[in-house]
Amino acid sequence: MKTNKRVSWFVLAAVIIAMTVALPPQWPAETRAAKSGSNIPVAEQWAVQVDKVDASEVNLAPSFQIAIYESLLDEMSKTKRFKQVLRDGDRNAGDVSDLLILKTTVEKYTPGSETRRAVTTVSGATKLTVHSQLCKRDGRVILERTVSGNVRFMGSNLRATHNLARNVAKTIKQSSLPAASPSAPATSGQL
Amino acid sequence: MNHTLITLNKLAERLLRGPILGLLILLAGWSAAAAQDVIQPANSPVSIRVTHLMGFEGASHNANGTLSIQDDSLQFQKSGKPAVEVKIASVQDVFLGCQSKQVGGLPMTLGKAAVPFGGGRAISLFAHKKYDTLTVEYVDTNGGAHGAIFQMNKGQAEALRNELVARGIHVSDSEDETKQSGAEVTSENK
Repeated sequence: MKTNKRVSWFVLAAVIIAMTVALPPQWPAETRAAKSGSNIPVAEQWAVQVDKVDASEVNLAPSFQIAIYESLLDEMSKTKRFKQVLRDGDRNAGDVSDLLILKTTVEKYTPGSETRRAVTTVSGATKLTVHSQLCKRDGRVILERTVSGNVRFMGSNLRATHNLARNVAKTIKQSSLPAASPSAPATSGQL
Repeated sequence: MNHTLITLNKLAERLLRGPILGLLILLAGWSAAAAQDVIQPANSPVSIRVTHLMGFEGASHNANGTLSIQDDSLQFQKSGKPAVEVKIASVQDVFLGCQSKQVGGLPMTLGKAAVPFGGGRAISLFAHKKYDTLTVEYVDTNGGAHGAIFQMNKGQAEALRNELVARGIHVSDSEDETKQSGAEVTSENK
């Protein structure tokens, strides 16, 4: 019995040591440097202006629209893919040469309930689906995607907006944008 | 007779030193905390305890503090931190809403998971609370659009709404998020 206990402690210690070696902790500065996309020269990066969310075709609460907009601004900054992230209506956008405009249209919304999620686990999910477009000033679309975000188990309903914005930013980060020069071909896709 | 009085006095002293004193202190503290929910100092018409969920420039997410209207600005102050404010003239729209949230946070969730025979689910039926939400749309000095979301106790948004309306701001009552059905809303349905 005593030997069994000793063996299990030994196994536990071995697992912890193995995990520490395999996944060394990353300090914030290191993480930032690694994720900053430093291989992309700043001169070739675009600036992005995030437009307000268009939810005219779906009955979405204003707090959700604002939450998506603010989360998108946060997440787009985190990607380090753009030299500047501007808000809708920002007058400085006029001075920026290589500007992309992120347009977001809510396509589908399923209102959920935190209580239902907590009681049933399988129902009550809040789901959001949006159509995101990255356009140039002249309106030419250079990237468009349909992205979803939801909250299924834990968290408030507004968390769906955070998850959605994170997915949009992730999609844009993983997509290859044309170089920041005037003539660029349009690409489109569906997730 | 004298002996009985002395004994009673001693007993009363002991009781006051013990749990009753503690209870009194607890009650006093609780009533003071409850009174702080709606603070109305003389120089501010409305001052409400809120949780800043996101969007107010300079304030951290999920920060508890006081939202007040000072002269010509809407101010949010986290206790012990300098206040952040926006000019009321820059506020473009305000929306009131309502949402239901589970109380207790992560400790409560873990506690519920530990209850045997799915008892935690039954607790979840009662462990939720309705909150008012206040969504403020405003512009910064560069014309950039901002949106801030605050959460406050049910019924408190009304006082703030009246004050904002008195200052000429358009306030919309958004739909009660707790009353919305679980039905899927798509742009194709419309």
